[in-house]
Amino acid sequence: MSGRALLPVAAVVVAVALAAWLGLAGLGRDPGAIRSPLLDRPAPDFALRTLGADRMVRLADLRGQVVVLNFWASWCAECRVEHPALDAAWGRFRDAGVVLVGVDFQDDHPSALAYLSERGTGWPVVADPGSRTALAYGVYGIPETFFIGPDGRIAARQVGPVTYDQLVREITRLLPGGRGPAGAPAAGSRSA
Amino acid sequence: MTGLTAASRTARAWLRRPAAGLAALLLLALSGLAVVTARGPGAAATPAEQVHAIATGLRCPVCRDLSVADSPAPLAREMRDRIAEGVAAGKPPETIRREFVAAYGESVLLVPPRRGAGLVPWVAPALLLAGGLVAAVLALRRWRGRAPAASAGPPPSARTSGADRRLLERALARIDEEAP
Repeated sequence: MSGRALLPVAAVVVAVALAAWLGLAGLGRDPGAIRSPLLDRPAPDFALRTLGADRMVRLADLRGQVVVLNFWASWCAECRVEHPALDAAWGRFRDAGVVLVGVDFQDDHPSALAYLSERGTGWPVVADPGSRTALAYGVYGIPETFFIGPDGRIAARQVGPVTYDQLVREITRLLPGGRGPAGAPAAGSRSA
Repeated sequence: MTGLTAASRTARAWLRRPAAGLAALLLLALSGLAVVTARGPGAAATPAEQVHAIATGLRCPVCRDLSVADSPAPLAREMRDRIAEGVAAGKPPETIRREFVAAYGESVLLVPPRRGAGLVPWVAPALLLAGGLVAAVLALRRWRGRAPAASAGPPPSARTSGADRRLLERALARIDEEAP
């Protein structure tokens, strides 16, 4: 084969290699499924007032416990889907060194309070004025859940409704000794 | 008037040599582009302009391909408020951008970083332009090399005119015969 005939072949090879590299480099990925740069990093601190404004919740005060930070809103349909899972996990882990904190995202407070009282929500739910905490955690869309270990680092993040199994798995993995109150074994997988 | 005459003379000269004219225009356009590229976007003067400049370079996380400056989404509005706070506090634009990158990753930047896969959109245009120029030069050289070989024989008109003329005469004669 002459050099001139090889030229188009070489061009095609280069183009295919470039396309493959771009594909591998992640240009073909769904931008919504981007891994959080906060994983394994210290969770951004916050001091937020509960929706009833009766007390402050400071992340720094929760060091040493597993913190499940759940961003939600009363207008969010998928938050309704995951609420029973959060409720069940709260019932199971509330006395085992686990704190569940709801962060009300871009919501009006009367609707949020009505939503919570309707469902008998037991865990603290805080307001996030100006979405400061949501922006610090890189929230894309709710529901979004962050699992913070006793060391204050973000261990996992779930974009979209969280399931009960997922909550149990991530919480037991983070509890000292890797065992929850019911002795569930820790699973190694992690979310987005 | 002399200036006008000189200009029209130049214009006529360019019309006679379109290649030179095109080259001059291309040079003018490229030098303009070089000046704009070297200067970069104009420095934002007022705080509002600085906020807008930073927001223009950030992707609205809850939108598809809209900048924080252009998006009407509440989250984008709150991002603009955070940027305005940063500008008011005297933070450099790069620091403000880095804070968003820390939370959202580099995908929050609308202008790709100049490394890794982000390098491709920066380098590809220059590579394509260089490749195109090389291809154009090669093609021109090939055409030039062919031209003398073609003109070596008798001129095309001389070679074909005899046969063409006979063909034409025959056709005209046939029309005359068929005409009533």
